[in-house]
Amino acid sequence: MRPIVSVRNLSKTYRIGRLRNTNPTLRDALVGAVNSPLSYLRQRDDEGTTLQALRDVSFAVEPGEVVGIIGRNGAGKSTLLKILARIVKPSAGEVDIYGRVGSLLQVGTGFHPDLTGRENVFLNGALLGMKSQEIKRNFDEIVAFSEIGKFLDTAVKYYSSGMYLRLAFAIAAHLEPEVLLLDEVLAVGDESFQKKCREKIKAVSRDERTVLFVSHNMKAIADLCGRVLLIRSGQLYEGTDPKSTIAEYLDEVAAAEARPCDSGSNAIRSADIARRKSDIARMISNNT
Amino acid sequence: MAISENSSLSVSRQREASGSADSFRENAYESSPLPLTPVIKIRAAKRWTPIGLGEIWAHRELLYFLVWRDLKVRYKQTLLGVSWIILQPILMTLVFAVFLGKIARVPSDSVPYVLFLYAGLLPWTFFTNAVATSSHSLIASAEMITKVYFPRALVPLAAVLVRLSDFVVASVVLVVLMLYYGRPFTRAILLAPFLILHLTLLALGLGLLFAALNVKYRDIGTVLPVLLQLWLFASPVIYPASLVPPNWQWVYALNPLTGIIGGFRAAFLDLGFDWRSLLVSFAITIVLLVYASFVFRRMEDEFADVV
Repeated sequence: MRPIVSVRNLSKTYRIGRLRNTNPTLRDALVGAVNSPLSYLRQRDDEGTTLQALRDVSFAVEPGEVVGIIGRNGAGKSTLLKILARIVKPSAGEVDIYGRVGSLLQVGTGFHPDLTGRENVFLNGALLGMKSQEIKRNFDEIVAFSEIGKFLDTAVKYYSSGMYLRLAFAIAAHLEPEVLLLDEVLAVGDESFQKKCREKIKAVSRDERTVLFVSHNMKAIADLCGRVLLIRSGQLYEGTDPKSTIAEYLDEVAAAEARPCDSGSNAIRSADIARRKSDIARMISNNT
Repeated sequence: MAISENSSLSVSRQREASGSADSFRENAYESSPLPLTPVIKIRAAKRWTPIGLGEIWAHRELLYFLVWRDLKVRYKQTLLGVSWIILQPILMTLVFAVFLGKIARVPSDSVPYVLFLYAGLLPWTFFTNAVATSSHSLIASAEMITKVYFPRALVPLAAVLVRLSDFVVASVVLVVLMLYYGRPFTRAILLAPFLILHLTLLALGLGLLFAALNVKYRDIGTVLPVLLQLWLFASPVIYPASLVPPNWQWVYALNPLTGIIGGFRAAFLDLGFDWRSLLVSFAITIVLLVYASFVFRRMEDEFADVV
């Protein structure tokens, strides 16, 4: 089968600059250009001033796959999604996507507090790339999914945070692109709403649509994903199956947690971690 | 990065309205074969390319919603709502009419000074507000820019269009003043729409340029109000261009607002057009707009990293 998403040798380098230059002003730029006209060019090669968020990442995703992306904070998961969502440009490499992309990197982006729920559905829908016909067609379903009921014509600034998030997720859940990118959006609402969100993702994948999502919730990853990619400081790792990749990741986290502790509490910590790992292993085997 | 939306992709998706709203659509997604060429190509940043007009056209609905949002919010947040749009140029007209018309007795090409002033302050107010809000627009939308993809030029463009709608509303007052002072509407007024378009393009050019620079160099936001204030006095807004000595007229014409604001006033009050300064102004506007779109496109790649 031909892949719907093809990522080849993708790299992203952030120029973080020297510390005193983190927030350059026009004056700094002018003064710097006068003082040392060549430093700007030199700085690019300087290893100390750059941050390699992604290194030579390649993978392909087939239509209908649900791919989980896991990794520790700062490993480059979000950078990868942002590149696929076209928010950030890669420094090198290529991506080809054979379908429309919808992305939800933050729930409720572009919501305006003074607009009503109804108005925000249209604004947010347009922002996420829905045609207004598409929004109108799905409007009743979005409202029902969000469970906000009679508050539809109330300004969202008066919403509780739960209502706000539910409405925002409901809009995004009705995106109909071929490829859906989700960043840590499952941590929304109470347990029953989260369950509803997971059901929705399953329904989306049954529709032969492709989902890539980032999460720290290993239960959700194990539950939903047919495939798991692990990113470690910008590099991609994929085990033979989702279970082994998740286990690899948990080992890593455990090792990192154990390191900074003094030897006295280490034994307690590692026992704790071992217990948690076995919990998760049991949970995964229950699901499969 | 070259992004091409391939419009040839046609996915037929017939969705039935599902009966119970809570049930998820179980009907199978009609998966069509994958298109042969990528719908989206993502490549590393290229240097100099112009703004993708096709992308902007493809997102025209979002542009509409951005303008709609700003208008709606303003109407909800302020007590006087729409009346502010008219009050701003009226109040400025009153102030200048008292200080310049009554006290300094500035000449006004034999037109009642209040009418003369309003015909200049109306396009000026549009221009200065459009440049100021669009320059600030990207920073104000930082959250959207770092979380959603859309052509970034929509943001300053929407800001200019919001101000353009203000301008249309405030124009009513000019018509009322014309009737009050018994000025006839002549054929010259037919040129007014083109002058408004011209002024919009100039404001958009500066808006794109400053908005992009402002993301990286926040100083722009501080300097701009001062520059705009100076520009008011360097343009024929509160005094006629004829006040400038003849041997300085060519320098004066290098200010693109000289041709446009002079021309706008001439269109309404039938004062005769200064074609030379209009032509100079048009040339400057086009060059500026093209340059701004290249600069914007180039810096656009970094917005999400920097803002």
